[in-house]
Amino acid sequence: MDLGFSPEEEEFRAEVRSYLQQNIRACIREAVLEEQPLPREWNVEAQQILNRAGYAVPHWPVEWGGRDWSAVKRAILTEEIDSMGVPRPLPFNVALIGPVIAAFGSEEQKRRFLPAIANLDMWFCQGFSEPDAGSDLASLKTSAVREGDGYRVNGQKTWTTYAQHADWIFCLVRTSREERKQQGISMMVMPMNSPGITVRPIRSIDGIHHINEVFLDDVHVPAEHLIGEEGRGWDYAKYLLGQERTSMGNVGFSRRRLARIRARASQTQSRGCRIDEPAFRRRLTWAEIELQALSITQMRVIDEGSAGDTGSAGPDPKTSILKMKGAEMLQRASELLLDTMGPEAMCNGASLEGGDPLTEEGSERSAIVSAYFGSRKYSIFGGSNEIQRNILAKAVLGLGKRT
Amino acid sequence: MNFGLSEEQQMLSDSVDRMMAGHAQAAAADPISHWQDYCDLGLPALSLPEAHGGYGGAEEVMIAFTAYGRYLAEAPLLQPLLSGRVLSEAGGERAHDLLARIISGQDRVALCLWEPNSGWHWDAPQTKADPMAQGWRLRGQKTAVLDADASVWLLCPARMADGIGLFLVPPHSDGVKIKTMRTPDGRRVANFAFDGAYLPADAAIGDPTKNGALLARAIDEGIAAVCAEMVGAMDRLLEITVEYMETRKQFGVSIGSFQALQHRAADMLIEIEQAKSMTFHAVAAQRKDAANRSCNVAAAKALVNRAARFVGQQAIQLHGGMGMTEEYPAGRYFQRLTVLEMMFGNTDHHLSQVEKAGGVTG
Repeated sequence: MDLGFSPEEEEFRAEVRSYLQQNIRACIREAVLEEQPLPREWNVEAQQILNRAGYAVPHWPVEWGGRDWSAVKRAILTEEIDSMGVPRPLPFNVALIGPVIAAFGSEEQKRRFLPAIANLDMWFCQGFSEPDAGSDLASLKTSAVREGDGYRVNGQKTWTTYAQHADWIFCLVRTSREERKQQGISMMVMPMNSPGITVRPIRSIDGIHHINEVFLDDVHVPAEHLIGEEGRGWDYAKYLLGQERTSMGNVGFSRRRLARIRARASQTQSRGCRIDEPAFRRRLTWAEIELQALSITQMRVIDEGSAGDTGSAGPDPKTSILKMKGAEMLQRASELLLDTMGPEAMCNGASLEGGDPLTEEGSERSAIVSAYFGSRKYSIFGGSNEIQRNILAKAVLGLGKRT
Repeated sequence: MNFGLSEEQQMLSDSVDRMMAGHAQAAAADPISHWQDYCDLGLPALSLPEAHGGYGGAEEVMIAFTAYGRYLAEAPLLQPLLSGRVLSEAGGERAHDLLARIISGQDRVALCLWEPNSGWHWDAPQTKADPMAQGWRLRGQKTAVLDADASVWLLCPARMADGIGLFLVPPHSDGVKIKTMRTPDGRRVANFAFDGAYLPADAAIGDPTKNGALLARAIDEGIAAVCAEMVGAMDRLLEITVEYMETRKQFGVSIGSFQALQHRAADMLIEIEQAKSMTFHAVAAQRKDAANRSCNVAAAKALVNRAARFVGQQAIQLHGGMGMTEEYPAGRYFQRLTVLEMMFGNTDHHLSQVEKAGGVTG
């Protein structure tokens, strides 16, 4: 048992921090710290700088750019990326499709896609959810019918984050009807400019366009864009969801928000809730304590995972705790942040007359309001809190075996 | 960073577990009769320097207390931990000799921290020791002293001009009134009134200017130990609750198949895992400087307390009427958790401590 970080781990942390400070432009970091929406180029720029240092895909196999670092070191890296205000490597690329191609793709696919995915030369989005397949993902209907040397794909995907930025999409599609709905699903990739793909933006309640509907009408997908074997898409999806657990709790991100809240609430000219108000201070104190606990819980899950590596067994059910608690912390921090604004929380967006809104910087204010609404998504996507509780009850506690 | 047990720690864990499981089987024995077994395993010296027969640190204390909570053990383990730390650092021959007798199991010493009007603030005692020709006269009151009647000595903080005096007092002597009661979880606790009790000159331990810091350290160690005990008890209580949910049938099915109840159990699990994490945090904090240590330990106790209340209350709820009966074990765990919640300070008290320190420090 060694409950502190080793000198080597601390050294690594310092090294990462100084690299990020020196190489990522301040304007990017400031925008991230203020939670402003980022232009596409800034995401690409940041990821390429990370990739140069081996920080974009350290969890990948070494031959494709992985670093063979301990899970603890990778967690330190993510924490530093988050707390320094560096945009994270695009999760759809590095945490989702990349590891699946590395594990199940053909040699040709690995050569073609992995370097481009790591360097964000190819931006991937994720085509999993459908209008009638949310938490019950396996009931997806998008069909891929064999046709000549490829497939004809028809259907609709939704909640597709950054489809407007993406070069490629990876999709779960139904290649055959089987007894169990988890069977007969395949995974394939397609360029977003394929004929038959239409993207329709969805504005979310945070007022921002992140998510989209993606319509697939008679899209031709060549056979070499099938990932792995036909019919094993569900296994790959489970594998993908079990990847890179070190960032699930979003600890660095929440820590950054809480520090910002404390700083805002401690200003003498603070407009909203102040640190000297007992009720507010207590809520903040609780959030800080719980985040401290979560940061250790995250390390414990990582430590357990690296002791007996999970391989393709799917996610460790205890990651559900990280997912839920991480979401809760992000949401509570966004609430506290909103509360530091006082009455100006009612003034959203830029001034209609144009120019200076007379008070606090308009963009910072709008970003806080927007973050509050946007944070509700954390307990919904990637398996809602209710789904996570089902997993904990069944897979960890063993409840519901006897009916 | 790693959370696994070393080989030695695993051995300690196994032997403590075996011993406490055995004691739990031998029901209704006087818990004091188990004490020698504890001493044979070296538990009273666990976190002390090697020179005093210690062989571990806060991690080993955590291992022992987790088992203690799991088996609802009752032998007086907390008091030797507290007084052992104080005596090992107070200096002087008296303290040294007494420590040796604690470690061997010959003597037990109970630290008296709270007074009728102190709340959980132990650092400003109203009890006074008036100097006299050859010794002291002790006046004041102490309350809620765990395992006091099983102790040969009380260790009493008293107000002095230059700090906090520490006095060794025999609990059954002239000028000392003792009222022994049961704790809600069936252990023993006592209140004391000292009405000019005479103490010889060598009853004073340590240095009043330094005793406060010494007590603070002992208490922070005690809090980490109690957090571990609560985690051990919560772990077992959730297991018992899940077993019950799987066997209890209503409407023709086991109640564990109801999603509303499954989600409650999942929330209990999350609280327990977070409490475990904060217990590790409290253990790691023992190596920090005093201010950092106390703030982080307080943060841990606040979170573990809240978890204990939630897990305890929900376990009773999920057991239904059965949870209200004394013969069923869930209630005993709930009682133990409630006592420990109040030990060294409830949730609000510890949150206030964290706030006074300016928030959680890394």
